[in-house]
Amino acid sequence: MRVSTILATVCSCGVARLGSLVGKARPDGSRLQAESFAHNVDCAMNVVEIENVTKTFGQHRAVDSLSLAVPEGSVYGFIGPNGSGKTTTLRMIMRIYHPDPGTGTIRVLGEESYGAAHDRIGYLPEERGLYKKMKVRDVLRFYAELKGLRDFKGAVDVWLERLDLVEWGGRKVETLSKGMAQKVQFISAVIASPEMVILDEPFSGLDPVNMDVLRQAVLDLRRKGATVIFSTHDMAVAEKMCDFIFMIYKGKKVLDGTLDGIKDRYAQDTIRVRLTERNGELDRLPGVEKVTDFGQFQELRITPETITQDVLAAVMNVGRVLHFELARPSLHDIFVRIAGPDAEEAAAESVKQEAALA
Amino acid sequence: MRKTIVVAVREYQAAVRTKAFLITLFAMPVLMGGSIAAQVALKDKVDTRDRRFAVVDYSGRLFASIETGAAARNAEYIFKGDGEDRRQARPRFLPTLIEASSEDRDQVEFELSEQVRAKELFAFVVIERDPLEDAEGGDEPALLAYHSNTPTYEDLRRWLYGTVNGAVGHMRLVSAGIDPDIVEEATERIGIDNLGLLTRDESGQISKAEKTNKAVGFGVPIGLMMLMFMVVMVGASPLVQSVLEEKMQRIAEVLLGSIPPFQLMMGKLIGTVGVSLTISTVYLVGAFIALNYAGQGSAFPTHLIWWFMLYQALAVLMFGSMFVAVGAAVSDMKESQSLMMPVMIIVMAPMFVWTSVLQAPSAPFSVAISLFPPATPMLMLLRQAIPPGVPGWQPAVGIAGVIVATTVFVFAAGRIFRVGILMQGKGAKFGEMVRWALRG
Repeated sequence: MRVSTILATVCSCGVARLGSLVGKARPDGSRLQAESFAHNVDCAMNVVEIENVTKTFGQHRAVDSLSLAVPEGSVYGFIGPNGSGKTTTLRMIMRIYHPDPGTGTIRVLGEESYGAAHDRIGYLPEERGLYKKMKVRDVLRFYAELKGLRDFKGAVDVWLERLDLVEWGGRKVETLSKGMAQKVQFISAVIASPEMVILDEPFSGLDPVNMDVLRQAVLDLRRKGATVIFSTHDMAVAEKMCDFIFMIYKGKKVLDGTLDGIKDRYAQDTIRVRLTERNGELDRLPGVEKVTDFGQFQELRITPETITQDVLAAVMNVGRVLHFELARPSLHDIFVRIAGPDAEEAAAESVKQEAALA
Repeated sequence: MRKTIVVAVREYQAAVRTKAFLITLFAMPVLMGGSIAAQVALKDKVDTRDRRFAVVDYSGRLFASIETGAAARNAEYIFKGDGEDRRQARPRFLPTLIEASSEDRDQVEFELSEQVRAKELFAFVVIERDPLEDAEGGDEPALLAYHSNTPTYEDLRRWLYGTVNGAVGHMRLVSAGIDPDIVEEATERIGIDNLGLLTRDESGQISKAEKTNKAVGFGVPIGLMMLMFMVVMVGASPLVQSVLEEKMQRIAEVLLGSIPPFQLMMGKLIGTVGVSLTISTVYLVGAFIALNYAGQGSAFPTHLIWWFMLYQALAVLMFGSMFVAVGAAVSDMKESQSLMMPVMIIVMAPMFVWTSVLQAPSAPFSVAISLFPPATPMLMLLRQAIPPGVPGWQPAVGIAGVIVATTVFVFAAGRIFRVGILMQGKGAKFGEMVRWALRG
């Protein structure tokens, strides 16, 4: 029930609405990025266009009637629980998997099938490895050549320098630590200066220092005009970096839009309060659907038709109000709301009800 | 195509630049040549301890021949080399005559047996009767009874057999009143030379036929076929590990981000063809130099080199694609073993029949089996290398068959590769592989 509501919401505020949203200041103050994106979007085309694509493996429907458009020059974040279809979608964009026949189309950099466009895409899969016996420079040269880059020496040097790997260039991959290997993998994906990079969990397993280095590298790519699509489990990273958030859950798209747009959509229903001298229960108040107690403060989720003024009046009867705020939920909250245990229960409940009705 | 070549070059370098490759390259002929050399060298490194044996001579007149024969043998035959190199290469045979009457023969033979067990004697031989007396009845035992507890040592028994037979023959001739020298002269064996065919050169001169060198005549066809077999094994089978590495180290998906699976597989196969051609070039050049050094330069099968290379490239593609499919379908080396079996049997099939093909290269069976695509590279080549060669249509049909089979195998492997390379966890069963290959 909830999922379909959200889906409807998302569809109504799809790409068409984005133009009006991108100019807003973001909570972390990254107005600059949003503005530069707004500039891009004026003359933008979509580098990825997925229309109504389904992918099944045996009985399992990994991706279900998915549509998606990634505007040129944007940072597009894919989020979703494990096994929800992120990697499958990214693999389909890379044409490693093909959609089920007759279900829809995927257009990447204007091409509908595997072609020259591939050399303009950098790909860092989630499952990634390097030839252990090869030297770092040889590995990078190999990937540069695979992408059709002829003059790669300069690029290799720049990237090794940049990610602090110069002294490792002549060593074999098997001597690298995990974090260093991951940086080499990142370079292998971006060595050919792609127009679009697809990074599947690029930051997983990195220490904070290396994570910052890679994050800066990603933002630099985008500054130079590349489109970045990445998937992550780290909601804080997604909030900081992404122009657009796309969430997939059980193969279906449940969120797609700018961070502001998504937050606005969820903002009206959360109230953060802080009370002293409490003499009643918050969850008994009219219009309050759910209370999350954080100790110092409580978050109330209210039903859509509830008027916040009424809630304030009711709360005043429960105790002395120190703080009352119409809260913007974090991406983390939204994620948990869609894919958390409660959502699972609600989904199971509705299935039961349907079964009972039938 | 460019990407395929980039992959092929990497695959080639990864294989050729390893120490293991160099070791294999040089160890292989050393091992093969070494085992031959070892056999030659160890041929004379036999046990040269004296072989003392007892002779119970009921004929009463054959021991003398044994004694003189053994003395002559001990004086000359057992030594090898000349001058300072002269050394004993075989054991001395030292006979002792045992006097015995036929009444207590069981007791005598038992005591002799005990002496053999105690290693005082090596063996004993009983000469049952006088060879010139008429045998009584049909189931007369053999004239000689050789007793020992080392039945695998044949030299002494054979020597006794030859020596006593010679002596008995001599006695028979003398008793028939024939001069043994005349018989020896009359029965001397004639020789036969094994020659090739005569040719006429440009000036119209007919050249003499050359003596066929048996070692070269057999060696060239067998050598070519064995080289083909070895190169396919050494060159193509590491594809299993190579594909498995890309799969298990999660390199495959990174690669697939840059190159379609079929091109990736073709790159690996072409790189492997390069590796195998490198190996065979090294060996063929080595063989050419060795043959010239031995003064047998004309025996080098120059006319077959291009055939060899062509067959080899196709064989590596054909078998290599099977190895690729195995590597992509399994999830560890252990699992690959069971799937390797059928492939190995196909690769080794020609090894089971090549001797009959060598004996009768133009027999219908040989023609048929050499046109069976997986066997063509080895067996057609073998037949082509055996003079006078094969009718021109046969290699043409063979190659066509191999090309068709290779194409089928490569495409089937491409489909298995595409599905298998990203599968993690459990490996595929043979039936699943067939399904992937058929459905794509």
